[in-house]
Amino acid sequence: MDQPRILIIVPAFNEKKNISRTLEDIRACGVAADLVVIDDGSQDGTSGVVRACGVRVVALPFNLGIGGAVQTGFCYALRNGYDVAVQIDGDGQHDTAYVKDLLVPILTGKADIAVGSRFIPPFLGYRSSFVRRLGILFFASLISFLTRCRVTDPTSGFRAFNRRALALFADEYPQDYPEPESIVLAHKSGLTLKEVPVEMRARRHGHSSIRYLYTLYYMTKVTLAILLDMLKRQQKG
Amino acid sequence: MNAKILSLAITSMMLILIVDLVRRKKLTFKYASGWFLVLFGAMALAFFEESVFVLSRALGFELPSNFIFFAGLSGFVVLSLLMTIFLCQQNQRNDKVAQKLGLLEEELERLKKRTEG
Repeated sequence: MDQPRILIIVPAFNEKKNISRTLEDIRACGVAADLVVIDDGSQDGTSGVVRACGVRVVALPFNLGIGGAVQTGFCYALRNGYDVAVQIDGDGQHDTAYVKDLLVPILTGKADIAVGSRFIPPFLGYRSSFVRRLGILFFASLISFLTRCRVTDPTSGFRAFNRRALALFADEYPQDYPEPESIVLAHKSGLTLKEVPVEMRARRHGHSSIRYLYTLYYMTKVTLAILLDMLKRQQKG
Repeated sequence: MNAKILSLAITSMMLILIVDLVRRKKLTFKYASGWFLVLFGAMALAFFEESVFVLSRALGFELPSNFIFFAGLSGFVVLSLLMTIFLCQQNQRNDKVAQKLGLLEEELERLKKRTEG
């Protein structure tokens, strides 16, 4: 088989301050991959910064939310004939040194989706605030129970996908707070998922899109969405 | 008797308004049909007012007016649910178009660069 074509998708919304560092990190990670930034309707000129770095950018005309932005990346990968796509957040939280590890289960055909998890040994470094860890634990338990597969970091947006997973998610991907829900969708469509231990960092600039006031809304929304997903008709794989 | 005339007058005016909106293409028939249904129902009840009493008694309402309020409210709940469905559909289409637009713009940019370079 030919060398698989790999695309790194970086969704970014108002990440002018973080994005160039993130792009440098990605270029330095030593994986032969193309790079595309999905600018989710940023108002701070993120697109311009990305173009100045010589990186391709798909600029959405208005803010779709992380789900819509990442899905645009999946469509991009399919349209342009990539075999594998890696999702890395534009805020620099994901340590690009682990992209290689993340690609292993996909390239060896062991899984359709690889998820970088902060909660698998041996690293166990930065793992978010206590409150958020409780939330993650809740979703991990809920999803592990519903899908009968052990998931430890369902909110991680550090992921790799093969073409099968890309085709599913290009067609159907949850719009806001998509990460936990997409695991359930993948499971229902018969895709296999593998978690890979990674390290993450705290954000360099700005706030995460999940702020304290929204925590309750987030928890309720995602829980309901996951439970509703379980009721949806079976996807064809 | 006055109530009958008033309700017939109001429903007729609404009917004329909606027909006019469809005529002026401010409303498409697809979206007007729900309104027509509700209006025809209301007109029928206003015209044959005896049926209101019969229906309300049969359904166990103490007062016919309660029945009217209940029926009206139910009608609007259905209409607003339909509205929400249409809204969601529009929202999804909107998002799809935005994604496509972004992708095509990027492709165009790349093509331009290739032809220039």
